[in-house]
Amino acid sequence: MNTVREPRRTPEPDKTRRTTPRHVGAWREHHFWSMSISWRRLAARPLGTLLTVAVMGVALALPLAFYLLLGNVERMGDALGRNQTISAFMKPGQGAGMAETAASALRGRPEVEAITVRTPKDGLAELAEVQGFSGALQSLDENPLPYVLSVQPKAHLSADDAARLVDSMKATPGVDMVQDTGAWRQRLDAILGVGARATTLLALLLGIAALLVVGNTIRVDIQSRAEEIGVLLLIGASRPFVRRPYLYAGIWLGLLAGILAVVLAVVIELAMAGPVGRLAAAYDGSVQFGGLPAWLLVSVPVASAVLGWLGARLVSARQIRRAATA
Amino acid sequence: MIGFDLVSKRYEGDHQALTDVSFQVDAGEMAFVTGHSGAGKSTLLKLLAMIERPTNGVVTLDGQKLNTVRPSDIPRVRRKLGMVFQDHRLLLDRSVFANVELPLIIAGVTPTERARRVRAALEKVGLLSYEKQLPGTLSTGEQQRVGIARAIVAKPAVLIADEPTGNLDPQLAMEIMGLFAEFQAVGTAVLVASHDLMLIKRMKKRVVVLDHGKLVADVPATEVV
Repeated sequence: MNTVREPRRTPEPDKTRRTTPRHVGAWREHHFWSMSISWRRLAARPLGTLLTVAVMGVALALPLAFYLLLGNVERMGDALGRNQTISAFMKPGQGAGMAETAASALRGRPEVEAITVRTPKDGLAELAEVQGFSGALQSLDENPLPYVLSVQPKAHLSADDAARLVDSMKATPGVDMVQDTGAWRQRLDAILGVGARATTLLALLLGIAALLVVGNTIRVDIQSRAEEIGVLLLIGASRPFVRRPYLYAGIWLGLLAGILAVVLAVVIELAMAGPVGRLAAAYDGSVQFGGLPAWLLVSVPVASAVLGWLGARLVSARQIRRAATA
Repeated sequence: MIGFDLVSKRYEGDHQALTDVSFQVDAGEMAFVTGHSGAGKSTLLKLLAMIERPTNGVVTLDGQKLNTVRPSDIPRVRRKLGMVFQDHRLLLDRSVFANVELPLIIAGVTPTERARRVRAALEKVGLLSYEKQLPGTLSTGEQQRVGIARAIVAKPAVLIADEPTGNLDPQLAMEIMGLFAEFQAVGTAVLVASHDLMLIKRMKKRVVVLDHGKLVADVPATEVV
């Protein structure tokens, strides 16, 4: 395709051909320069940069650690609660027909996954397996056990839905009493809900703290460069131009802190994986350790960079005005 | 290129720095502003750089009336000017090259073009081999030459200097003034504030004399003796 000759253009020499308009080129140059100068300045003061990044990074890692903890407690609760059924004991003397009617009435409910009807005979057989009971049971003339509806609720049922299910079971004709062995699960959910809210608030507060840390670092930086800012303004730099490297510095600090936070969170994750794995083994390996999701690992540095930019933005305009008039 | 039309400047506290000053400097012309200290030399240059605004009268730069320039457009005006300061105002934590490069970065010039023009400017002031050094390691005269390179690197139409030789011995001062004359020769309007009458006489350029803020003499180059 290169062999095809381009039509000859007479008036324009090659030199004046531009791929981008002049002001766009200047704008891009300004950003490239701001990006690199801000990075080099941070690198020129490694200790100060490191401290700022460390404070921010630890502050952001804390909510991540809580998130990790909550997630795993929730998974453990899920795993343990999976086989928790709600039992409805039929009134003594109710026959198989009544039990089946009650069962089919409950099957229609949206909260129910499955229902098994256990006959008095099943119950007796179960009891017989429990050591020490077999002799006692043989001495009985008749089976005293009622029919039992063993209700398996749907997974991830909310506490309200579970309570509604229990209420409707109690109201089902022929049912004597309802035993909800999964009630602890609802309590755990409620506790986890509190924990999740606390984590969100903590993340918010620590996010603000991170923003202030960057803001303060940038403020001090601008103060120490008052002379330079004066010279730049004098030789024709606009305020946005003077400000831009500081905004980029905020972005860099935020990004580095976000990456540090993620690294710390992953370290915590790895440190927790061992003990949680042993715990899982104790529960037939039904609990899998849950790590931080990929979207979170990516969005934390991004969000942190935005925080850094915001922090720098908050202080820079005012500080540069001060430096310019100093 | 530079125009003052009945320009007055009164600072707060009733200090009258300039009173009805009028004169023009054309492209390719070099003029000295002289007078005792406090005569208003610095104020004159500050009005051109828009560091101060006149109380009365009109200052023009490159055909633009500065009275009507909005604060946000001041940077654009300053980019038309090359400024040289007595205390050179270099950034001491950056190399000679980086200092001279600044106006080009502000103008949004690409890095390769920047490098070419910075070296050309440094060569002009005879400091090409110093580009990697920090300004603090240079002598006062060399620092002033770096300041001049920074002032002319973006090829401004107007070059102004406030006591550029104030800290230099006569030999170095003469060299610096020689540099200014070279820029005049290539079409730049040059305005230098100086109180060094010996030096001004040797340069044989136009001289504007201020006394207590009033223009008392405007001597053409041909009449300087």
